[in-house]
Amino acid sequence: MPPLGKMILRRVLWVFPVAFGVVTMTFFMARVLNGDPTELYSPPEATDELRAQIRARLGLADPLPIQFVHYLRDLLRFDLGISFTTQQSVASDLWDRLPATLELGLAGLLLGIVVGIPLGVVAAVHRERWPDFLVRGTTLSGMALPQFWVGLVLISIFFVDLQVLPGPVGRLPIGVAAPPRITGFLLVDTLLAGDFSLWWQAVRQLALPALTLGFSTAAPIARVTRSAMAEALQSDYVRTAIAMGHSKRVVWFRYSLRNALLPVVTLIGGIAGHIFAGAVLLESIFAWPGLGQYALQAIERSDFAALQGFVIYASLLYVLAFLAVDLLYMFIDPRVRAS
Amino acid sequence: MSDILLEVENFSGAFRGETGDLAPVLHGVSYALETGLMTAVVGESGSGKSLTALSILGIQPPAFERTGGRILFRGQDLCGLDERAMRRVRGAEISMVFQDARAALNPVFTVGRQLADVWQLQHGGSRKAAMGQAIEALRRVSIPEPERRARQYPHEYSGGMAQRAMIAMAALVCEPSLLILDEPTTGLDVTIQSDIMELIVELSRTRGLTTCLITHDLGVVVETCQNVVVMNAGRVVESGSAEAIFTRPRDAYTQRLLASSVLVEAA
Amino acid sequence: MRDGEAVETVAPPLARGKPAARRRHRPRSYWTLRIGVAVLVFYALVAVLSVFWTPYDPLTPGIGDGYDAPSLAFPLGTDRLGADMLSRLMAGARYDLGIAAVAVAIALTVGTTIGVLSGYFGGTLDTVVMRGVEIFQAFPGLLFAMLVVQAVGAGLVNVILVLSFVGIPDYLRLARAEIQAKKSWQYAEAARLAGNLPWRVAFRHLLPNSIGPLLAFTSINAAFAALVTASLGFLGLGLGPNVPEWGNMIARGQDGIMTGQWWVSFFPGLAILGLTGALYLLGDALADLTDPRRRRQ
Repeated sequence: MPPLGKMILRRVLWVFPVAFGVVTMTFFMARVLNGDPTELYSPPEATDELRAQIRARLGLADPLPIQFVHYLRDLLRFDLGISFTTQQSVASDLWDRLPATLELGLAGLLLGIVVGIPLGVVAAVHRERWPDFLVRGTTLSGMALPQFWVGLVLISIFFVDLQVLPGPVGRLPIGVAAPPRITGFLLVDTLLAGDFSLWWQAVRQLALPALTLGFSTAAPIARVTRSAMAEALQSDYVRTAIAMGHSKRVVWFRYSLRNALLPVVTLIGGIAGHIFAGAVLLESIFAWPGLGQYALQAIERSDFAALQGFVIYASLLYVLAFLAVDLLYMFIDPRVRAS
Repeated sequence: MSDILLEVENFSGAFRGETGDLAPVLHGVSYALETGLMTAVVGESGSGKSLTALSILGIQPPAFERTGGRILFRGQDLCGLDERAMRRVRGAEISMVFQDARAALNPVFTVGRQLADVWQLQHGGSRKAAMGQAIEALRRVSIPEPERRARQYPHEYSGGMAQRAMIAMAALVCEPSLLILDEPTTGLDVTIQSDIMELIVELSRTRGLTTCLITHDLGVVVETCQNVVVMNAGRVVESGSAEAIFTRPRDAYTQRLLASSVLVEAA
Repeated sequence: MRDGEAVETVAPPLARGKPAARRRHRPRSYWTLRIGVAVLVFYALVAVLSVFWTPYDPLTPGIGDGYDAPSLAFPLGTDRLGADMLSRLMAGARYDLGIAAVAVAIALTVGTTIGVLSGYFGGTLDTVVMRGVEIFQAFPGLLFAMLVVQAVGAGLVNVILVLSFVGIPDYLRLARAEIQAKKSWQYAEAARLAGNLPWRVAFRHLLPNSIGPLLAFTSINAAFAALVTASLGFLGLGLGPNVPEWGNMIARGQDGIMTGQWWVSFFPGLAILGLTGALYLLGDALADLTDPRRRRQ
């Protein structure tokens, strides 16, 4: 197997111990923190016998190691238990809500990249002059402001004052039916159903939350792009390129940007992992029926199984996101392949 | 007697610090590079020899400002040229080889690609043709298996090999009249050093280059350069033919420099 | 990546003469440092002041009519229950500043200690610690905080502890990286040869040289801690409904946003912006000033 292949394999295999650690930690955390959920599942007038039965049915009567084994076995079958709130399997709950979070996440991330990277480049190229200061000032507020506040302010401006965008009622206006679910992404399913006005409504509902998310993600992306690019622009290899007669344009966009993108990729990976785990607060404000909202509800209602399922999902997603970034790095940066 | 290709005329410059103050570092530097000859600019670290050279090509550090003097290339003042005109000079008329070759090459592009890019920049043509030329250039500087090496990245090259590639880029892919080399052998093993110097001398001869060799090591100067310029603390203290400098140094600093170098033992 | 600078820079003599041309302006990081510190000091003073005096009692509702717009009597308006916003904002400084400060202090101490030990001694200890950190960091931080707070109950102490816990891994990694980079340097060698115990070498000799990056990081981390505090407050976890913590205030003003009473949520956000912005500025300036690669450009 070529050395690169071995490197990739090693990196991929390494996910498993971490995943196992995550899963184990979740198990113990859930039990330690939430105590005995039997009460929740028992009707108030239940007798002790009934309670014992419920406990047994929940699998809580077995000794801890046995519980753990059952837990692992269920996980491997993607059985995450039944949500107390929805009375459905947690796995199917997660699956239902995933597209909403992904759609918002992708829109926000895309906005962040499309705005953030050019801003970073501009700031780096005009280092220590006014475009740089402007970019740094805006990105500072982007990172210093809580996302939920930005969302509320945008709602206040665009919905309440200017009335150009709809209110925070979710993915579609109230009372409007969703198209048949094929991918779960409204922007796709509406087009597949041929319903352009519905598509437009979905876009408008997506606008404010995506803008909020975009603002928050553009800020760190711009900053990292700026500093990486500035460093590249001061490097020896850029000096060589200039000395050989290359134009500024080539130097910036071919010879510096490629190098600068390396740390940006890492950052985007981290952000993506975070976003796709569900932007809890954002979804709460915009009544967005995604995983973040699911998690919040699970916490508020002490929905044991749902919470556990969500934490496992989010953590594994993080692990996968970093795996993806590491693998991507191996392709982008030839020096990594050497070590 | 050859004529003068490049003349540094009373060149002075300073660094502008963060507080806005100017700190002068070059004081009236003057020397001339005769066409077709190899001239060495020698001095210790901090003498300003590299700074002057970077100023020739207009790639000096941003904090460095010229405070006086001119740099005449074929009679034209390079300091007065705008960026576009300067770009036409770089690579095509004057090119430069830097000290740490592996750092001077972009780590995320293959060496062949970087050479080919410069070829296309200087001579046009297709990407494929440029790549072919790049491989040829690598071969010409005695890099074994050039086709394979062209597909490799700078970090996969040894220090000496990377320097050869750098020379290939500056002297072969570019076709300048003046080649400046800033400490090209510093940091390399002694045996490699002499190989590189041999390559430089050979290329200079066969392509009729005017060469400016910047170094602190008098050992590489002897037997290779016809003229020598000695710099110290931002000033030229002595200049003349190599023979004159080595056998009849007039300035006290030059004498100290010679005395402290290994050459004395050899002589 | 390191970009080696092949240019010799002569140690420049101090500028003499030409007094007319003297352009005396300080480097930018000088100003950002001072602005950041000034703002933080201001916030701290407000927090302390609020213990003794605020325009009105921050916790008493009904002083205004409810949803009074900003006016002379109530410069920042009143919230839904008629409590004065300015007073609540001032009192809130105690919470947002205090919680973030204490949490960061704990995380810094614990994280750095473990990180230094792990980085210096390496081996099995290091492997175990790093695996643990990786697993721990796979958990979404905010969620973890929410979970724990929900489970162990409301209360200032709990919130602070959870927050510090979440912050430990970052300090750990940073300290560890710094120590690993420096433990093979010559002065470390010298300290060892002088007979110092290993832990002494690590803490007394190596760590102080990393203060710069650590401080810069702490500042930025504190900003993050403040944001998490506000987020927890926004979700209503951990502190109680009437507490004038800024995030909580934003949450309570949510209904007002829809009906046009924007000030209830708006001003607490600005307060947060000021705090975290100052911390970021400070962190940036510190990073600039302590960057070992600062060349005389």
